[in-house]
Amino acid sequence: MNSNEAIVVCRCEEVTYGQLRTTAEEHQCTAREIKLRTRAGMGFCGGRTCRIPLDRIIEDVLPNVSQGDIPLKYQPPIRPVSFGTVGEKND
Amino acid sequence: MTRIMDHPILGKLNDRKAIPFTFDGKTYEALENETVAAALLANGIRTLRIHEESGTPRGVYCNIGHCMECRVTVNDQANVRACLTVVEQHMVIESGKQHPTIVKRMVEQQ
Amino acid sequence: MMDVIVIGAGPAGLAGAIASANSGLKVIVIDEFIKPGGRLIGQLHQERSGEWWNGIEESERLHQEAITLSVDIRCGVSVYNLEKDGDLWNVHTSIGTITVPFVLIATGAAEYPIPLPGWTLPGVMSIGAAQVMTNVHRVQVGKKGIIVGANILAFAILNELQLAGIHVDRIVLPEKGPLSGKAGEPEEVMKSLLHAAHLAPSPLLRIGSRFMKNDWFRKTGMKFFPKNGVKVNGTPLLLRKAAIEVIGMKQVEGVRVADTDANGTIIPGTETVYEADFVCIAGGLYPLAELAAVAGCPFQFIHELGGHVPHHSETMETPLEGLFVAGNITGIESGKIAIAQGTTAGYSIAKHAGKCGAVIDEQLNQAIQNVRLIRMQAAIQFNPDIESGRRKMSELWEKLYEKPANLHSTQKLG
Repeated sequence: MNSNEAIVVCRCEEVTYGQLRTTAEEHQCTAREIKLRTRAGMGFCGGRTCRIPLDRIIEDVLPNVSQGDIPLKYQPPIRPVSFGTVGEKND
Repeated sequence: MTRIMDHPILGKLNDRKAIPFTFDGKTYEALENETVAAALLANGIRTLRIHEESGTPRGVYCNIGHCMECRVTVNDQANVRACLTVVEQHMVIESGKQHPTIVKRMVEQQ
Repeated sequence: MMDVIVIGAGPAGLAGAIASANSGLKVIVIDEFIKPGGRLIGQLHQERSGEWWNGIEESERLHQEAITLSVDIRCGVSVYNLEKDGDLWNVHTSIGTITVPFVLIATGAAEYPIPLPGWTLPGVMSIGAAQVMTNVHRVQVGKKGIIVGANILAFAILNELQLAGIHVDRIVLPEKGPLSGKAGEPEEVMKSLLHAAHLAPSPLLRIGSRFMKNDWFRKTGMKFFPKNGVKVNGTPLLLRKAAIEVIGMKQVEGVRVADTDANGTIIPGTETVYEADFVCIAGGLYPLAELAAVAGCPFQFIHELGGHVPHHSETMETPLEGLFVAGNITGIESGKIAIAQGTTAGYSIAKHAGKCGAVIDEQLNQAIQNVRLIRMQAAIQFNPDIESGRRKMSELWEKLYEKPANLHSTQKLG
């Protein structure tokens, strides 16, 4: 199990399975809270790769939470854009 | 890596023009209309960047623009996805480098 | 001004654009990839009739038809936000904001990742990445590879890699645990392969499936599953071996694998290393619904459809006025279904736009029937319980959004 603790779950911020599991257990976190506490899912890809593994960890740690209960939350921009492009409307 | 020149169902790769580009200062050849990721892999290059903080090597993971792992610098524009960017003549491509983490080190030392 | 923006130039998006344009609407299609076709352009498999389903040809056909109808197709453009502004939608893209009364989201699917030690090494990729590199870009992803994860998509792509002369050495399972879910449980994997087996799209799967159909084998099968696996088109499928770690200094050099018991639990002391220069992670597909989510569309988690799907009707409407969906965003199914759903959405939009009078009802009805027909005849069924998943969504829609008065005015489909 030791090597599994070191699995990088969030590739962008290099947050490991061990860190996530410990945080989830300690704080009994929601999916949103675990992101804020560990920075998992907050990196360059915006959680596009690790959102589902994160949900699975929460589901495994918290009693009575299944994947379907975890709300599907996305914030724009959902793709990388330059500040220039986003600011365009306010010019 | 090898290009798949002759495919039993998809047929032969039709004559596509070869175009030069550079990656980290070295010149390579791409085929017209192919992505940076495909051109680099065809030249045997898998590592497109190293993680900004830890320096671990990274390459193409999803190949369709979701994972952002293949981001490189193209003609001085940083964070361009190699898997969605078509190579152009004399394109200058740089791999992603490690960044100093001064603030983080300072916080850790406190 | 445009009438419709279609997000995603895959089978569903192109078919939707064609149906809308056919009904006299002005349509623009946006796609992030360098060329139209979506995941269709990676697909290549043999139908039960023996004919090849060539995704590149199919998407070229759809693309040409759309162009003939003056559909404006823009590739290499990203959509990063979507918001309602009165009766219109503002679609924010990397080439500016496009304002339209109707939006069709046809963004398809994304792959479930299965994190394992070493998976950040260059040379580890999602199996879909290997498919695109091979069939679309025509560059070999490596000389010798290992697939982690056994499902119908993995088998289809295995076949495609082999056609391109790439050696896939073995298929193993991911290690059992919360990150891999059912993909790491040999019996669950076996069960899902059994369901898929009779629908096998090519001889290789049907041959492989023969032994799996046997009831006795299924029950005791995992216990006695051959240590050296069974061959799927020449590649050993090892349901009793789990990938523990991808190894390599600067890129993939191999995979450390261990034997497991019938439940997928690692047997200590059985570790070996298989050499490889690439690894494909095959976790399966889920609907890519992020744009519908930022638009504010309500969702339902339906396991049979592959995950969270936006609420939608059989006519491909969402509860948000002017917002439509089609293809894998509504549930994981084949490209053929996506085309049929796209056509339905396209006519549905035309109907809402008040186009074509009485004919449109007929066209829409036919399109819906066609989706059902194609589903019944499907060669590749990603989820055996797809029908039940679809039923759940239509019951939910009926309960939440169909006003009793509508039951009299609109024709109920059987």
